[in-house]
Amino acid sequence: MIMSPRQPLLLPANPVFIWGTLVGVLLFEMALQMALLGRAAWAPDLLALTLAFWVVHQPRRVGVGVGFVLGLLIDVHQGALLGQHALAYSVMCYLAVVIHRRLLWFDWKRQALHVLMLFVLAHALQWLVRALAGDGGPDLWMLMAPLWQAALWPLATALLLAPQRRAHDPDADRPL
Amino acid sequence: MPLGTIDQPPPPFFKQGPSALSRLLVLSALALLLMVLDTRLQMAAPLRQSLAVALAPLQWLALQPLHAVRWSGQYLGSLEAAQREAAVARAELVRQVERAAIVEHLAQENRELRTLLGLRERLPAQSRAAQILYQLADPARQRVVINIGQQDGVRAGSAVMDGFGVLGQVTRVYWGSAEVTLLTDARQAIPVINTRTGQRSLAFGLPLGGAGQSRMELRFEPSATQAMVGDVLTTSGIDGVYPPGLPVAQIEQVTNVGADGFAQVLALPLARVDHALHVLVIDPVGRPVANDAPAAAAANAQPRSVRTAP
Repeated sequence: MIMSPRQPLLLPANPVFIWGTLVGVLLFEMALQMALLGRAAWAPDLLALTLAFWVVHQPRRVGVGVGFVLGLLIDVHQGALLGQHALAYSVMCYLAVVIHRRLLWFDWKRQALHVLMLFVLAHALQWLVRALAGDGGPDLWMLMAPLWQAALWPLATALLLAPQRRAHDPDADRPL
Repeated sequence: MPLGTIDQPPPPFFKQGPSALSRLLVLSALALLLMVLDTRLQMAAPLRQSLAVALAPLQWLALQPLHAVRWSGQYLGSLEAAQREAAVARAELVRQVERAAIVEHLAQENRELRTLLGLRERLPAQSRAAQILYQLADPARQRVVINIGQQDGVRAGSAVMDGFGVLGQVTRVYWGSAEVTLLTDARQAIPVINTRTGQRSLAFGLPLGGAGQSRMELRFEPSATQAMVGDVLTTSGIDGVYPPGLPVAQIEQVTNVGADGFAQVLALPLARVDHALHVLVIDPVGRPVANDAPAAAAANAQPRSVRTAP
């Protein structure tokens, strides 16, 4: 396996941590939306961000199927058309699988640019589905959501990779 | 394959399951099928209900911070504010009591008159108190979720009102919650009657009204409409869903020549659409049955025979 020289050697990802963060972010996003954001069009989709992150980093564990199931759950929670988020997340996860080998060779700015396109596409698909179903014209605020998500990509990298960055055998006398 | 990790044995060469592309094709076809089932055929309800049951504990958990904030807000709210609110409520109650006395009298009179005329007596509608939990996230629709559902006897189609007027209608019922479409939603319509002129019309939601305020629009009003600014619209009751006489909206603007030859009449909902917290769910009154059915069928048949005659 050829690795980017920029990339540190990481510990194995804990599956419990992967699923825990996905469910936790789902919870956090639901709580945030219900308590504060309401139906704001610019609200970032944190679940899509986490999902894309894990697809890029763990494509053999988290893939298109996980995206589909989480999308269905979001559809039910939001009372949206059944399949709207499922379709958008499936397409986004597929594209994340496609670019996952290339993406980690770039620095964080270019990574954010790459994933921005995924998020824009996912939101555009949702908007298209809604427009075809007969409600909602274009809203400029909707463009804010993918921008937010792409801007949060470095933060997601820092937080979600933190458990894997620890030393394999902790030693008080050694740096790292 | 995870880059830069040493966790797994190397992936098998041949048995890797279906490729990501084939999974995408199957799942997106499934998503499209679900969407068609949901919109065109209305057959996705069982799946939605079962997923909602699975999601309910998560939703309950996610609602706890909101409940905590509301509770602490009430707990920590100043005594002065509470007393002020109580004073306002008491004044309102006195006003209502006076009105209620008149209503009692009128109801009695109405009952007697109806018996005299041989009309069926009007049944009081069943109602239940509920609380609005949260708004649904779709920015194009105006929907909220309330905290009672199937287990409390809520039925789809019930009217929902706050202390000032009709707020919306229950459109989806889950086990412990229900989805309410507000009157200002673009897809929502309510049959109303103008209390001053007795004119009946349909009020549709107009979510993107000027100045960020959602409004309602009376469609198909003739350009010689008698509606005037300030008229109060109430439910007409002819739909067999909403009980008659619930206050709905107040006319705000009348433009006699609209773009399509109809007058443009805008109305402002009386209910506090964006601020309501405690609401009342009123059961649908049920369609008038038996006697009216043949008459209605005859009325329907009339234009058809005219059309086929020439």
